[in-house]
Parts: sequence; C-alpha cells; structure tokens
Amino acid sequence: MAISEEQVRHVATLARLGLRDEQVAELQVELNDILVQIDRIQALDLTGVEPTTHAAAITNVTRPDVVRPCLPRSEALRNAPEQQDGAFLIPKFGG
Amino acid sequence: MTHDLSTLTAGRIRDGIAAGDFTATDMAESALARIAALEGDVHAFNEVTAGLALDAAARVDDLAAAGEPLPPLAGVPVAFKDNMNLRGTNTSCSSLILESYSSVYDCTAVRRMLDAGAVPVGKCNMDEFAFGSSTENSAFGPTHNPWDLDRVPGGSSGGSAAAVSAGMAVLALGSDTGGSIRQPGALTGTVAMKPTYGRVSRYGVVAFASSLDQIGPFSKTVEECALTLNVICGKDPMDATSVDMPMQDLAATMRDGVEGLRVGVVRDLMALEGCDPRVRACTMDAVEVLAGLGAEVGEVDLPSCMYGMPAYYIIGPAEASSNLARFDGIRYGHRAEGAEDVMDLYLRSRAEGFGPESIRRIMLGTYALSAGYYDAYYGQAQKVRTLIIRDFEKAFCDYDVLVTPTSPTVAFKIGEKSSDPVSMYLSDVYTIPVNLAGIPAVSVPCGLVDGLPVGLHLMGRHFDEATLMRTAYSYEKAAALDMRPPLASALGV
Amino acid sequence: MSKDRLTTVLESWEAVIGLEIHTELTSLNTKMFCGCPVQFGGESNTRVCPVCLGMPGALPVPNESAVEATILAGLALDCRISRWSQFHRKNYFYPDMPKDYQISQYDLPFCVGGGVNVEIDGDGCAQRLDRAAVGADPDGTYTTRIGITRIHLEEDTGKMVHVGGSEGRIAGATHSLVDFNRAGTALMELVSEPEIRTPEEARRFAQKVRLVFLTLGVSDCNMEEGSMRVDANVSLRRRGDIEFGVKAEVKNMNSFKALHDALAYEILRQGDVLDAGGTIDQETRHWDAGKKRTSSLRSKEYAHDYRYFPEPDMVPFTFDDEYIDRLRARLPELPDARGSRYMAEYGLPKHDAAVLSGDLELGDYFEQVVEGVGVPLARAAANLVLGDFSAYLNAAGSTPTDADVGPRKLARLIQLVDDGTISGKQAKEVFAEMVATGEKPRQIIDRLGMRQVSDSGAIEEVVDRVLASNAAQVAEYRAGKHGLLGFFVGAVMREMGGQANPAVVNEILHARLDA
Ligand SMILES: [Mg+2]
Ligand SMILES: [Zn+2]
Repeated sequence: MAISEEQVRHVATLARLGLRDEQVAELQVELNDILVQIDRIQALDLTGVEPTTHAAAITNVTRPDVVRPCLPRSEALRNAPEQQDGAFLIPKFGG
Repeated sequence: MTHDLSTLTAGRIRDGIAAGDFTATDMAESALARIAALEGDVHAFNEVTAGLALDAAARVDDLAAAGEPLPPLAGVPVAFKDNMNLRGTNTSCSSLILESYSSVYDCTAVRRMLDAGAVPVGKCNMDEFAFGSSTENSAFGPTHNPWDLDRVPGGSSGGSAAAVSAGMAVLALGSDTGGSIRQPGALTGTVAMKPTYGRVSRYGVVAFASSLDQIGPFSKTVEECALTLNVICGKDPMDATSVDMPMQDLAATMRDGVEGLRVGVVRDLMALEGCDPRVRACTMDAVEVLAGLGAEVGEVDLPSCMYGMPAYYIIGPAEASSNLARFDGIRYGHRAEGAEDVMDLYLRSRAEGFGPESIRRIMLGTYALSAGYYDAYYGQAQKVRTLIIRDFEKAFCDYDVLVTPTSPTVAFKIGEKSSDPVSMYLSDVYTIPVNLAGIPAVSVPCGLVDGLPVGLHLMGRHFDEATLMRTAYSYEKAAALDMRPPLASALGV
Repeated sequence: MSKDRLTTVLESWEAVIGLEIHTELTSLNTKMFCGCPVQFGGESNTRVCPVCLGMPGALPVPNESAVEATILAGLALDCRISRWSQFHRKNYFYPDMPKDYQISQYDLPFCVGGGVNVEIDGDGCAQRLDRAAVGADPDGTYTTRIGITRIHLEEDTGKMVHVGGSEGRIAGATHSLVDFNRAGTALMELVSEPEIRTPEEARRFAQKVRLVFLTLGVSDCNMEEGSMRVDANVSLRRRGDIEFGVKAEVKNMNSFKALHDALAYEILRQGDVLDAGGTIDQETRHWDAGKKRTSSLRSKEYAHDYRYFPEPDMVPFTFDDEYIDRLRARLPELPDARGSRYMAEYGLPKHDAAVLSGDLELGDYFEQVVEGVGVPLARAAANLVLGDFSAYLNAAGSTPTDADVGPRKLARLIQLVDDGTISGKQAKEVFAEMVATGEKPRQIIDRLGMRQVSDSGAIEEVVDRVLASNAAQVAEYRAGKHGLLGFFVGAVMREMGGQANPAVVNEILHARLDA
C-alpha cells in the first residue's frame, strides 16, 4: 500500500506536525520504503488468529480508591512554557 | 584516591566499603574522574550528576560509618538512560522537545536502585525517544563505541552501554523495546538484559511502545546483572502492567550449572542472509562451550519470527505516535515562539522539537492507526504477534533456552547506515521477536570479530530469568573472556 | 417558543433523539487513573500529579471503585455486563487533555444494552402525537421504554478559561488558561438508543437516569456544576420514514429545562430548514440559554480520526458471575421498585407513589416519616409530605435533607392528629409554627393551648348551647335541610376555639338532631 503525498499531509495534520514541503516529499519516499517491508505481512492469511493486544497475560489490575499526595503547584507548573495565575497559559484557541 | 571502575564489580564495591577498604565517596569521585577523562571521546552522557552522586555517596558512607548493614548496591556508581525520570535531573530523551524538561518525580526502577544504595553519576545519551539502533539519532550528537571511537555503540541505550563498557559507571539501566538494551550490550561487550514484560515497572520511563518497553540492566558481569535485576524487579502499584511474580535470588541460583539444560539454536534465524558469518561462528562456539558444560544442544525453527520486523515496525510506531502526542508545548517541553493560536503552536512546536527519526515513526504509526488502515496494519501485526508467541511456546516445550546472535553484525561505523532507515531497522532482527512475545532475554559477550565484541543472545520462558542467568553465568565463567575495551585499559585509572 | 408550532412541526416530522450522558463519579475519593482527590472548584492546578498532568513516563492505573460504580450503573439500568472488556485510547489533540489522547472504551465497553421506562404525563404528552400507538392510558399519560446502547468509563478533561474576550468565550479571546484539577476524573458515559421522540421524553429519560445514579450514590449529578452533562443528537425524518435524517449534536444544556428547550428549539429550526427545502448540516451546536437558541460553533474543523487502539498501559478486564452477583447484591432499591412498593405496601395512589419515588431525597424523607408513624399511617404521611411539607420546601427553596422540619418531628405531628390530640386543621397551624420556630409539635400545642377536645361531655354541653340558641336552624334541619349540619359544626368549633374533635362533634350533632 503506497502512501500518496496527500496522505502524508493528512497524516502530518493528524499528528500535528507542521512539515515543510521538502520534508513531505522526503517522508513520502522514506515511508514507502518502510511500507514495502511492512507490507510483507499483508500476504499472510491470519483469519482465525486472535490478536495479542497485551503482552502480559493478566487481567483486572486496579488500585484501591485511596488518595495519594498531589504535586505542589510549583512543581506542576515548573516546566510550563508560559503560566499565569497558577494556570498553564496557551495562545488563543481556534482561529 | 581513585580506583579503576572498569575492573571493580558492584559486589566488590559494596564489600570494600563495608570492610573500609575505600569509601563510597572514593567510588563516586573515581567515576566522575573517569567520566571527565573519557566523556569528550565517548559522549555517553547528556548530564553528569556530580552533586547527586556525592550526596548519595555521603549517605552510604554515613551508613558504613554507623556500622549499619549496607544495601545491595551501596556505593555503586550507576547511570540511567535519559528517558528515566529522576528528580534533580533533566529527562531529555535526547530530544530538543524535552531538552529543558526537569523531572518532577522518580522512575520506580531508578528509585529502587537509589534505595539500594546506588550512586547516580549521570543520565545517558540515547537515540531520540529510543528510536534507533546506533545512538546516532540523538539531538545532542552520537555516542562513540569505547572499542572503536569511529563506531556506534548500538542503541537506543547506547550511552548506558558505553558508560559501563568504558568504566564510567559500574552499572546502568536502559530500556528495551525491540533490542535497545541487548543490541548495544552486544556491540559494547557488556552483559545486557531485557526482563520479562511486566517484571520491572515501567513507571517513570518515557514510553516508546507501552506493550513492548521494558527496563533492564547493563553490567560487566552476569553476577552484577542478576544482582541489579533482583533490585529493580517486582510489582509496582503505579504500573498496571507490572506483574506480581516472585523472583528467585538470582545470584544464588545462577551457580547451579547447565548440566542437562536443553539449549535450542534457532536455525532459521541464524541462517538469515544479513548475519555476518563470523558472528554466526562466534555464536556457535559459545553453544559448544555450553555443550561442553553438559547442556543438551539441539536446533529449532521460529518461522513466524521472520515477520517480527514488519510487525514491530507497525506496533512500535503506532503506540509511539500516541505516546508522543503529549509533547505538545502546552505543559512542558519545547514551545514554538510567537504561535498565533493553539493549532499553530502544536504544528510548529512538534515539527521543531522532534528529530527526523521521531517524525518518521510518528508519521508511520499515525498512518498505521488511521481510519481504514487499522485492520491491515495494527490488527494484522497483533495477529503476527500471536503467531510469534505460539512459535516460542512450542520451542520452549523442547528447550529451556533458545540461542541466536544478539546482533547480526558487530558495531558499524558512525554514519554508515544513518541514511538508510530500513537497513538500520534490520539490526534488531534477533531481538525484536523477544519483545513481541514479552519473554526475557540476555546478551552476554561471546568473543571478538575484528577486535569488536559479539553478543550471545539467550532467550527464556516468561518469568524464567533464573534459567537465563544460570546459562549466562556458566558460559561467562567457562569462556573467561577479557571484555575491557582498549580505551578503558589504556586509561589505566 | 410556541408549543403550537412544535406540534405543527411534529405533525409532519418525527424527531429522532439520542442522548449521551456524561456523569463524573464525584462520589469517588480519587480520580480515574491516579490518586488525586476528586473535588469541585478550588485553586487551579493543585489537585494534579504526574499521571493526570500527562507527564512523560507516568502511567494510569484504574480505580477499582470506578469500575464497580460503572458495573453497578449497568446492572441498575438492565444492561448486560461484558465478560471481556478493555480500555482504548481515543487519539486527538486538545489543550485541556494532558496526554492528547483520552483513555476511554471503544468496542468493548463494560455495559451494553439495557433501558429504562419513562412515564410521561401532563403537558409533555401532547408532544407525542402517536401516543395512542405507544399505549397511552385513557387520561393521555403514557409509558415508553428508552433503550440504552452502552455505558462505559473514561476520563474527564481539564478546564480552560478564555481570557480577553467577552464572558470567557472563545470568540475574541487573546489567550486561554488551563487548569487540570478536573483532568482525569472518572467519567461514566451513557449512550441511549435514538429512541427518544419528544423533548419531554428526553427530559424524563435524563431525569430518570440521574435519579438512578443518585440512588446508586455514584455521583452528585449536578448539571449546573457540570458533574452531569447531557448532549443530544437530534434529527428529523418524515413521519412514516424509516431512514434517519442528518443529525445535529446539541451541547451546553446545563439543566433539564435547557435540555427540553434546546431540543424543542432544534426541532423547530430543523423543521423550518427542511420545510423550506434546505438540508441539515451535520455539526455541533451550542445551546445559548440566554438567547434561547442553538448556534453552530463554526470553528475551523479538522477531520476527526480518533485512531482508537487498545490501551497498552492497562490490562483487560474479565467479569465473571461471581463478581457480577456480588455487585448485584449491593444494588439499593431502585426508583421503579420503590414506587411499586409504595403502592403495594402503603396503598398510595399511583401519582403520589411516582412523585415520592421520583425524588430520592423526598422519598428518603417520606420513608423516615413512615418509620416514625408506622405503615398504617403511611398515606397520612404521604399526604403531609406531598402537601404542606412540599409547599414549605418550595417556598423556602429548601431540600428535604436540609429542611428545618425533620422527619421525626413530622411523624410526631401525624401521630398527634391520629391519636386525636389535635385536629387535621390544627395540624396545619402547628406545622406552620414548626417551620417558623423549630419547636417540637407538642411544645407548640402546649404553648398555644391548642388541645383538641374529644371529651363528649364538654362537647355535648356546647352542642346543646348552640342548638338552643339557633332554634330556627334546628327546625329547618329537621325539616330536611341537612346541609345545615356544617353550620352547626362550624358554630360548635368556633365556640370551642377550634379545639373540638370534629368527629365527636359530628357524632353528637347527629345524635341530637336526628333523634
Ligand atoms: Mg466520551
Ligand atoms: Zn493525578
């Protein structure tokens, strides 16, 4: 399954990667090289084979509903690129 | 007083401190001195944590002075891959997007090491977000193999491997998603272990592919590997995929020998075209050593493992594309200047912050999960995973340990493969099926080709680390190889 | 909004409505995947940790009580509990979502199927033009079953405040501030089948679901504070058609009235568009309670592709019979069962039973009163609770729980009427005093000297005096004008300051006059 330039752009938008035109072109070539390798498994007839969704064969792992300490606000915000009044500041939304 | 950490083992350090032969501070200073001497050539570290090291060493020395019993890793200089959170350090994952990210909590495995008395000397270089097999995909420059500075140390935990190989740290932790501990272990002549999925908590290691990632140790000897594994393993309430399964005292059981142990050489994987015949020969010599020790050797095929590589290059990037979504410039990490709105901020922060290999994998994974492709890619890969698990289950009916080389080649030259992602991806062909199946595996040095280390890859049943350690230990004792890199020996400190 | 217009539109168009009800599990101590406490409001970013901030390397571990609460909700709403279930990741970027994916459930939710019966009475019946077909009672009221597609568990987002524009709106804002205190709170999502046909059915369905959740005690279900959020998908199709029309999703209704009004508005709007030969856009519309209309957001839309895949950070769930039975045993009495019991055990009329079982607090209050007075007086208790007590609650804007008059005092009052100490009429006065002063009924009766006289000797004396001084009326009565009895009763009561036992007065008057 070869990937088109338009698909590369669509996938980049889904992944929120603002690619330059030359990156799009490069990636189209690279991804198609990789997809050739990957497509080898398309040929396998795997009807009736259950998918393995989880590596550990365990179920029902939960934690008790018990409060644990929170981060101090200064720690929560320590890495914030911008902050104001104890909140994470972001530019305007939408547009 | 400085000591040569390329020869001292963790056990010897702890005992030496307890006996008053030297102090933990001596050990920390020795490590820092070696780092100062070698780091310019090797570039194993993103951050050297001298302050944390000296503080931790002082605490151990206080314990020793008070005559308290010393914990198992007391005073042992250790290094952590830079994708493991530790308060007081940055955790960059060798990416510009997290260059200034300062950890606000501790990774469980790291915490367990430190609680066991280990002395943290630094955070190690890696392929960005663990995407790679050479440590060339680091935003901060490649790590050089202590055996030959023109060569890669393997990856993605190349910094951790190089640090232990060069004696800049006695132990290190790496993370292994498709071979990222074992392959650099092989290429640097260190003992490198990926435990069973669920054996070691993943809490605090920046996720690459959640269903494949596992933390494990680098060391010079199998005994130290076993010791470290005992320290870091065990159920963690902070990781729902960590498993509550008791671990034997590995340092005790590893001495039980391999008499009667059934060792299966994986014939079809050994025969792969990309495998250097000399590497293959080294591996077979090692199998002969095991046979000489009383192991029963046979051959087995794992036909579905041929499809491990494509399955891995779907599952890994798919999970990674989701795991790396959080690097969005909102709460931490790189934020593009002057974004006009949130969408602009996302698009530019991520395009600026991620390196080329990260972008490739995010793109590949996003594509594989996108509408209309899920069944063909992710769904199909998960089914292949089932087949691989069945192959292993079948093989483990007849054998206790399976053998391949760890890497099809010895360390390659820096830059040699970096322009060809597909050929780079092939360097993990032996290690990938292990992650897909979730079983444990260890790489043990088994000789040199062209003066470069070769790794013996031993794979075991789920949660049967004990048999792996026993096999690796027996081999190591019998082979008695000197795996000190020339660089480390030349330094002489 | 004119009801007539709604009816007119509904004559040619049938509304197809499905609800999505998101309920925060506010009764839990902690969030869905981390140990941060669940609480409303407070200083921003003070109830966060590496997990709910989506810090690199942090992992989610599901809250066992959240899982139980969801299974309980499923059992209470007649759902099937999945034997095998797991969480999925729903991938999309949003600044209030720390990981840029939401841990939710996809094709394997905890609960599937199910439904509730919704009783429609009053004005709402008129909206259902084909109510005869769904089996309406002769009085026009009807009951309809609304199916539930699924109930699943997921995590809530943080909150954004938009700064620089008007009233915290996105439009015109220069920047936004993000607070993650709410991020990661357990959120139970219920999806109904598109089987709702009128705004009133939607309102009653949502109210019924809320009542069940309140009964289970899983959430405070506060629509104003957003701990219960109802979104509606609504489309129209020509009466008789089977195909669905294009639907709009309506959000931002923070009361049941808003839900009703928004749906009524949207039906009119879509009807107008379709009647004019237009087409409906598939879009999300916001209800503006002030302007009483829905409007399209018209923000820049990016194609949605959620790229669901099984959450690898958590393992699957299996629910066996033992687990399900254990939770089933924990189910409290549910509203429908409670209403039936009020009719069967207490002999309440259907309407009274429905009102009392339809309000968790009022029902609880009522039961505490019944406990105080005993089952034989349950009807008297219901009358007082639904009458004077409810009137007082309305006037005071109070709830049964924080009412000034507790159920024990109310029970005492009922007993004092029952044992003849005071009359029913006096009881009204006493109740008013109880509300005003907080005194116990007995204290009030003593203070006001308000004692009912049942002593027949004393009453006979007054009756005789009244009859003697009203000889003309006595003659008329005896001549057949029996309506005058009330006149004599009133006169006796007046004479005795309202304290005579009316039953005894009646009895003596009859004895004297009919002799
Ligand atoms: Mg949802
Ligand atoms: Zn939290």
